[in-house]
Amino acid sequence: MNGAQHILKAFQNHHIDTVFGYPGGCIMPLYDALVDAEGVEHVLCRHEQGCALAADGYARASGRLGVCIATSGPGATNLITGVANAHRDSIPMLVVTGQVPSSLIGTDAFQETDVLGMALGIVKHSYLITDANELPSVMEEAMTLAQSGRPGPVWVDIPKDLLLAEVTRPAPAPNQAVAPEAMAISAALELLYDAQRPLLYSGGGVSLAGAESAFRRLAEASGLPGVVTLKGIGNHHKADPNHLGMLGMHGSRAANEAVEACDLLFVIGARLDDRATGNLAGFAPGARVIHLDADHAEFGKLRAADVALGGDLATLLDGFTEALQARPLATQAWTEQCRRQRTLKGLQTADNEEALAPISGPGFIRQLSRITPDDAIIACDVGQHQMWVAQHYQFDHPRHHLSSGGLGTMGFGMPAAIGAQFACPGQTVINVSGDGSFMMNAQELATIRRYNLPVKLIIMDNQCLGMVRQQQELFYGNRESQIDLNDNPDFVTMARAFDIPAMRIERSDQIRRGIETILALDGPMLLHVAIAREENVWPIVKPGASNRDMLDASQQRQHPTTSKEITA
Amino acid sequence: MSQPAPREYQIECRMTFEPAALERVCQVVRIRGFEVTEVNASLQDTGWRIALTVRGSRSLDMLRKQLEKLHNVERVVADTTQRITQRSA
Repeated sequence: MNGAQHILKAFQNHHIDTVFGYPGGCIMPLYDALVDAEGVEHVLCRHEQGCALAADGYARASGRLGVCIATSGPGATNLITGVANAHRDSIPMLVVTGQVPSSLIGTDAFQETDVLGMALGIVKHSYLITDANELPSVMEEAMTLAQSGRPGPVWVDIPKDLLLAEVTRPAPAPNQAVAPEAMAISAALELLYDAQRPLLYSGGGVSLAGAESAFRRLAEASGLPGVVTLKGIGNHHKADPNHLGMLGMHGSRAANEAVEACDLLFVIGARLDDRATGNLAGFAPGARVIHLDADHAEFGKLRAADVALGGDLATLLDGFTEALQARPLATQAWTEQCRRQRTLKGLQTADNEEALAPISGPGFIRQLSRITPDDAIIACDVGQHQMWVAQHYQFDHPRHHLSSGGLGTMGFGMPAAIGAQFACPGQTVINVSGDGSFMMNAQELATIRRYNLPVKLIIMDNQCLGMVRQQQELFYGNRESQIDLNDNPDFVTMARAFDIPAMRIERSDQIRRGIETILALDGPMLLHVAIAREENVWPIVKPGASNRDMLDASQQRQHPTTSKEITA
Repeated sequence: MSQPAPREYQIECRMTFEPAALERVCQVVRIRGFEVTEVNASLQDTGWRIALTVRGSRSLDMLRKQLEKLHNVERVVADTTQRITQRSA
């Protein structure tokens, strides 16, 4: 068995049945071995960035390891954005690249790049194989490492000659799961019982740890109000009346004000990212902090914790739940206060009421949320539409909301939706994109067509880079700079060129029919949604400002919004 | 908010052998807001011993925890005796 065959054997041993890749010179031995491999479906994307982002979407939607493969040089460099995206959002990913033959490394050979050096800052770990007999242990270690603790991408770079060399060393036995750390929670409970206004603050770490059910049990047992980060959307049951919504730059006023008013912040699987906290000096100024996370390095990184507990989140959360069931908190008045604030200051946006009115972004997303099945997966791109989805789509599970949180990668959505559709073939998968983001990985339309994936594509087209335009309007004296996209292609014609049906809507009375049409079709379809260029995302916190200084539509300084629907 | 004065610290990392060990440590030190002012690294029978003097205004404990996350790091000893340093113009 040569090195390439061994890699495919390792995939099979770990039940990896789907990989995303693109062939090329130095990875050709692996593609040759793939011809005879059983049980591994290779998905050929049309750009290596698409491969990495599809593997990311696959992992986010399923909780399994995402795998991407590319050749040396440009193949590897094209992966970089996708790998960095996975790194920033702690997505379990295995990256396999071919490298120039061992004897040519360091000679500036054709398609040579120093992959190990290039990727140092965007991986959980990386390997450059120097002997084919390293492969059994490295592949085993890499796959385990990518999924353990705080997950992340692990990159294995393999010179072409070693892909062809015989592997004589047997594969080690798969690593056994490590028992979670036993941590005392009594100190944290003491803080909880002492607090008058405790608040749950949960993030993407909940689903990464498979602790979704444990979190909901805690939310119910505690009766506490909760806010979520962008990646924590879906942690609360969508009917949970104590859920105040997303906090931060585009969060709800109810959520941000609750954070400011609380006297105890119970942080669960979140890293206190700057988009969520705003200016740290004004963030939860009177609160003590309990911090639960799989990654000890997050403790005290940005905000000191009074009690920090590391380890398996589900086990930790169940420990709290058990204690709170035995001795409930007496914080009902605070919870009731937050519920009232949610009603008064939650994200409320009326649907488009006038049939001939232009389509508003939030109104469209709210209708989409009502019409799609409960288990639909929404893969966003990055920009205004991403925030409208975060604000107005009602998610019932964190794995239904795929959004590039840490890196903010435009072009994430379509390949992520492709990966999600492979992971969850029975579920409706929708990519909600903007006209700017869509063009960043538009080549993946060919992948959707090739595999006849029933992915639904929605482009919210305002003919500009809307989020940049909005910030230029609000924070740069309305001096627009390089945001105009009014020469976009005709997206309907473009989709049809890939043999994907498409339709365009531009009025409010067309929304329902448009959504129902794409959902009804047994296959991929694109919906081109024309929205107003000047529509903004509200509320907004100026970058670097405190969350208490949220701006809403009534405070728009330069140009009053033309949308009558925005009341947030 | 004004930055605290930069301080100098001694850090020693013990790592299992791998070719990129030194690069990984230096990359973490740099990206987490410190600069290396002195380095002494040797490959021993048990792996790498990397002694660094670093300077920065951020928390040494934060740096220590980030270094401990490196897969090949076995142990990080951070000297808590801090010296406020003056940078030459």
